[in-house]
Amino acid sequence: MQTFSFAGSERKFFGACMVIGVISLLAIYLTDDPLHSRFWGNILQNGSFFLGIAFISLFLYAAKIIAYSGWHVQFKRILESYSLFLGVGLIFMIVLGLGTYFGFHSLYEWNQPHLVENDPIIQGKSPFLNPGWYLFATIVFGGSWFFVARQLRALSLKEDSEGDISFKIHKKMKIWAAIMLPLGGFTSAAAIWLWLMSLDAHWYSTLYGWYTGASWLVAAVGFLILTIIYLKSRGFYPKVTEEHLHDLGKYLFAFSVFWAYLWFSQYMLIWYANIGEATIYFHHRHEHYPTLFYINLVINFALPFLILLTNDSKRRKGTLIFVSIAVIIGHWIDFFLMVKPGVHYTTNKILMTTGMEEAAAELTRFTMPGLLDFGVFIGFIGLFGYFVFNSLTKAALVPAKDPYLEESLHHHVA
Amino acid sequence: MANKKDVLFGLYDDEEILVAAVKEAKNQKFDIMDVFTPFPVHGLDPALGLSESRLHVAGFVFGLLGALTAFGFMTWINVVDWPIIIGGKPYWSVPAFIPITFELTVLFSAVGMVIVFYTICGLAPTGNTKVLDNRITDDKFCLAFDVTKMDESEKSELEKFFGNTGASEINTKTL
Repeated sequence: MQTFSFAGSERKFFGACMVIGVISLLAIYLTDDPLHSRFWGNILQNGSFFLGIAFISLFLYAAKIIAYSGWHVQFKRILESYSLFLGVGLIFMIVLGLGTYFGFHSLYEWNQPHLVENDPIIQGKSPFLNPGWYLFATIVFGGSWFFVARQLRALSLKEDSEGDISFKIHKKMKIWAAIMLPLGGFTSAAAIWLWLMSLDAHWYSTLYGWYTGASWLVAAVGFLILTIIYLKSRGFYPKVTEEHLHDLGKYLFAFSVFWAYLWFSQYMLIWYANIGEATIYFHHRHEHYPTLFYINLVINFALPFLILLTNDSKRRKGTLIFVSIAVIIGHWIDFFLMVKPGVHYTTNKILMTTGMEEAAAELTRFTMPGLLDFGVFIGFIGLFGYFVFNSLTKAALVPAKDPYLEESLHHHVA
Repeated sequence: MANKKDVLFGLYDDEEILVAAVKEAKNQKFDIMDVFTPFPVHGLDPALGLSESRLHVAGFVFGLLGALTAFGFMTWINVVDWPIIIGGKPYWSVPAFIPITFELTVLFSAVGMVIVFYTICGLAPTGNTKVLDNRITDDKFCLAFDVTKMDESEKSELEKFFGNTGASEINTKTL
């Protein structure tokens, strides 16, 4: 039985990342506009990004249990650790939920009574877009995911010590996984509408939930590949071979294509129909953020597609590390593009209507993420990494009695 | 076929015996002509020492050809040959071309790979493929040697090899 040890140097590294994050957040808060829109925008962008990675890891784990998947079993502890991060990620979203309820941030246009007053469109959406429901849904949806994540983790640990040939515990895990798939599928879409899509309160897209979920999925697979390769370099997981990495590389490739497919489906329908209330979303982003608009497509589609197209590149560690890092940054930029334009629009509108025209004139658009934004990103990576490595120490790295363990130990794809 | 080939082949009942026989033949430095199985056998390619298939290169080339065909043709139609304004969009509307470009990429690469595969395997409609034994498409696993230039002692050595490795039948056929 191999147990992971969290080395002192790793603790220091992740700790330093977190310090950078905290300093960046403080600096942003001090230099921000009167509404602190950049500060809260960063919390929302990174909070929902990393919470989503935790959520989608749980979803992937549940899907694998349901689909009789065996090859991932050796490193399923990493997926479990990722999914437990839901507990930490939720804190940020609950703080934002409390913020909408008590009004200590102003990210959402639908949460400004004086703006909604004269706005029949947002009034029509108010049964869904209101602070009470935002807070309630965040707690209940996120809480239910966290609950299932803890159940699966507990059963998985129990299987290690008490598992036997009747596979009773594994069958119980199957039930929780079967609950998780529809639960996660429906609630995550609604959560994404509330957290991210409602930033552009007049606009909506039925593809938005899928598209954001695909972003999470690619980033989660990227983190998974990086974690496995790092742990291998420290001598853990001797039996996770390039065959496993090959399959993860296929995931990275396939989900990147899937993300691009959804991005394009959303874009093309809106472009083709050319209805003002629908095109406004892309108009903002294309007009004011042209560099990021195209960088987003290049990093998240063209790059993984062309690099991972051949068989060999999915089996080479260096290529996988490069592409994983690129898509993690790429999807963080994708989230920046989802959050920032809407926040800027809302903040500007609030400042203009509450007699703070001077502050509105000084408002920076931040068409590129600044160094401080990257600092916050690094801080969140530190938090995520620290949490994941810490929870990896709490159980054997390779589960002992999973029914599919043997399959995972002898995995061959080519 | 210009040159007739004499083939000595053994039929095996099970894929695992076949893979073991292939490994044994490699050990004894026999020159294997070919192996025929009714379905893909796991671990057979590395045992035979075959290099990775290059079929996907053909797939990529045909895919690229499909993408260029679709995109070029639509561009020519909509910009040069018969420009029509549709839905107030410019003549050269790239987003509208993407779905068809995608479809033709898939179509060309799939059909192209099938054609290349069948041609290489001699299964094209014009080919006149001779089958060693009809049962190799059903339940027999065949290991074949080219014995055209071999003398009797070498042939008997091969027959002995088939006997030792558990072949259920040993036959000869001239192709």
